[in-house]
Amino acid sequence: MEYLNVGQDLPLMEKLGILANSAKYDVACTSSGVNRKGNGVDMGNCVAAGICHSFSSDGRCISLLKILLTNECIYDCKYCLNRCSNDVPRATFTPDEICRLTVEFYRRNYIEGLFLSSGILNSPSFTMELIYRTILLLRRKYRFNGYVHVKAIPGADPELIYRTGFLVDRMSINLELPTAEGLRTLAPNKHRKNILTPMRQIQNTITENKNDLVLYRNAPAFVGGGQATQMIIGATPENDYQILSVAENLYQKFDLKRVFYSAFVNVTGDKQLPALPGGPPLLREHRLYQADWLLRFYGFRAEELLDEKRPFFNVLLDPKEDWAVRHLDQFPVEINRAPRELLLRVPGVGVKSANRIVAARRNANLTFVDLKKLGVVLKRALYFITCSGRMMYPVKLEEDYIVRNLTEEQERIRFGNDGMSYRQMSLFDVGSFDQPVTVTDKIQAAAGQL
Amino acid sequence: MTVYRCEDSLESVFTAIYLAYEEKRDHMDTCISLTKDPILFAEDVYVMPDQEKMNKVMRSLYRIFGEKDYMSLCMALASQDMGKAQAVYRTVVNGLSARCEAGHLFDNLSNDEVHRAFALARGVGREIGHLREFIRFEELKNGLLCAKINPKNNVIGFLMPHFSDRLPQENFMICDEQRGIFAIHPAGQQWYLFYGGEQELELSFALSAEEQEYQELFRYFCHKIAIEERKNLKLQQGMLPLRYRKNMTEFLHNK
Repeated sequence: MEYLNVGQDLPLMEKLGILANSAKYDVACTSSGVNRKGNGVDMGNCVAAGICHSFSSDGRCISLLKILLTNECIYDCKYCLNRCSNDVPRATFTPDEICRLTVEFYRRNYIEGLFLSSGILNSPSFTMELIYRTILLLRRKYRFNGYVHVKAIPGADPELIYRTGFLVDRMSINLELPTAEGLRTLAPNKHRKNILTPMRQIQNTITENKNDLVLYRNAPAFVGGGQATQMIIGATPENDYQILSVAENLYQKFDLKRVFYSAFVNVTGDKQLPALPGGPPLLREHRLYQADWLLRFYGFRAEELLDEKRPFFNVLLDPKEDWAVRHLDQFPVEINRAPRELLLRVPGVGVKSANRIVAARRNANLTFVDLKKLGVVLKRALYFITCSGRMMYPVKLEEDYIVRNLTEEQERIRFGNDGMSYRQMSLFDVGSFDQPVTVTDKIQAAAGQL
Repeated sequence: MTVYRCEDSLESVFTAIYLAYEEKRDHMDTCISLTKDPILFAEDVYVMPDQEKMNKVMRSLYRIFGEKDYMSLCMALASQDMGKAQAVYRTVVNGLSARCEAGHLFDNLSNDEVHRAFALARGVGREIGHLREFIRFEELKNGLLCAKINPKNNVIGFLMPHFSDRLPQENFMICDEQRGIFAIHPAGQQWYLFYGGEQELELSFALSAEEQEYQELFRYFCHKIAIEERKNLKLQQGMLPLRYRKNMTEFLHNK
């Protein structure tokens, strides 16, 4: 295999520095989606939930050894640190170096596996082949059985992507920017079609492979952890509604496992890019992730959360609170009777607590104290729920009132950190008034013991 | 009232549960205590741990409540909280009398005792999850991988299945420094626990030649992967509590 000579003879430490630095803006790098037990001989296994081995000083998890194969690149994407017109130190790993680093880090429990991406060296197919050979070496010679996540290079030979897919656990292709227009202005060498074609190819092969696995249990798995993608937020003028609709489409039409949102950091200083004096748009990114969760686990649709008239998320309220205060006609929800789908729409009730409520109310009539035990965040939920027909405090079901209470710091303190407040008890607050009368009670009452 | 006085071990607590059922005690009027605190008007029964009785109890709990809930009970018993034995006992009684099906033992969370056992198991489960992430092995001169942990709860036995599945052909060892427990995994063999001091193991903790290099590489990697513009130490601390850091390579400086 031929390499460019540039940056080949640097010490390993320096190469790692350069290529980790170049890879750090890639956020589609989880280690989840695959459960694979060790085979007793080779090193490594996979846990479906994913394992984060460390957290860097920006609070993001370090799960995989996230590096580029090379930061040489023939493309000139305006937002990218590694664009060919940028004057940065360049380096290229040899496949052996990558394998050694992965295996040695893995056995010390530093990482969960390898995340390999690359700048475009010579041509997309050439680069993809380098990636393929590196992973082949890691799997066959170094007998590594842990998690491997690679980037498929748009425009590469489909055969190479197909072969690589059988060696890795997750593959991702970055959409980079939410709309084709944005891509045209900022990444002149990339085309929307080139990105979506391999995405579709991977999706189709995964489906075929799943059918094969039903027939032949030991057939090799193709991209067992599914595929992911990422979009840069804030580099182009798209609104949140457009971004969320794109994400929803990707989930529905391309069966993606995850869509990641990356708050734009201006590293190149290009004149076509927005200057961000207030730092990267982190709150916007956060709101998008919250909405993304609502799409995937809570049964929301994009057009419920946002629409053409209000295309941006509320800065003060999270997307679920925002939805709830605009749909007060559906509240309050009776905890002891409401279906799970409706419980999931209550702010302060998550997937786990909704499941626990459904399980626990089979055994007992739930009260607000019980809800706290089940993990419901009462300071958010109390405006929207009743237990046995009663609200926790006398609150008005009125949009302004609730918004004021949810957002104002002082109002929150009234309820304490956990949402419970302390006040004079009334006779009817005693729990036993809610309980049905049992036979024991009757006997005790008759005998004068109660 | 009857109080079963136990040691802090699975064997002892499960034996006590066996005895409570064998002697047909009134479960509302019986408790299992791990401490020596006296209780007024109570009859003390000192429990002799019995392997056979423990196995019987474990087998039935596994059969009736399923693997997940059985593991949760064991995790609750690994907690540092001294009320754990009573919480587990009451949960088991509750589950058996309500005829819980497999996987539904912890459904009735509005019950205080069930919730208590659930909370203990959750706490231990979280610590196991954290240690699975944050354990760092160091390679010693003889090729042995060695990790030190200082957990709140006694979790070492829950960590070993994960690591022995992951590193089947490695000699490695995890030591719980506070409790003096060593979990040892010889390459290609079953792992076991060793109770005692470091002296008895006759180990020298000298690091191998390559070890320093890889530690430095990883430290540099962690430094380089962070995005300066997004710096958020509070978030980092929330995700990675300080108490784990004294055994973690990336937070230690060159020795």
